Amino acid sequence: MKMYVTVLLRCLVYVALAFMVYDYLKVDQQFTLFERGYIDNFEVTISNGPGLIFIALTAVLVLLNLIQLFRARKNKQIKTEDILLPEYDHRDERAVEITGRAVRFAFAFILLYSFLVLGSYMMVPNYFLDYIWYPMLVTASIPVAGLLVYLLTFKVLEAR
Amino acid sequence: MIENRVRELRAKYKLTQDELAKRTGVTRQTIVSLEKGSYTPSLLLAMNIAEVLGERIEEIFYKGEEKG
Repeated sequence: MKMYVTVLLRCLVYVALAFMVYDYLKVDQQFTLFERGYIDNFEVTISNGPGLIFIALTAVLVLLNLIQLFRARKNKQIKTEDILLPEYDHRDERAVEITGRAVRFAFAFILLYSFLVLGSYMMVPNYFLDYIWYPMLVTASIPVAGLLVYLLTFKVLEAR
Repeated sequence: MIENRVRELRAKYKLTQDELAKRTGVTRQTIVSLEKGSYTPSLLLAMNIAEVLGERIEEIFYKGEEKG
């Protein structure tokens, strides 16, 4: 259950950050077009929702990491230096081994997925004008996809 | 392939998987996988299990072609 929660939180952090960056770029783009004379005026609406969500989720993830680190110190079977992220399961030696294998799968998937993401820009040649959100969301999708592959692989291996 | 007599000895000493897991510092899923033969324990875990079950390590774990 803990891994589902931490992976979901981490995915939401990336999505929130993508929306934050999109809001900033949306405004910056309008200013640039206005300065260069392409438009006479503009109006944008942004909210601080994504920013607040991002801060809250980051704080929760840091807290989870600290709690995990504190609990791990009590268990002499776990090497505390192996604990980097709350997504890593270090309950015991088998969980560490499964984590390592799941991370390898996720890494391989990310390499392939990034290749496809880069190629996808060819399908959206005017992304910088009409689909300014595309680069942000597609970049955020890389770690999200990696996390989901990691979670799925971990659960499958754990069930064996 | 490493095989083991953990289930047999655990039953002999009337321990549940959960109790054995707690005494050896692992999760119950690890003990389940170990007894199924789909997980090979580390030397430390094998020694902990031998200590808890009060048997010699070579009496509990053996290579697949040998019998204890």
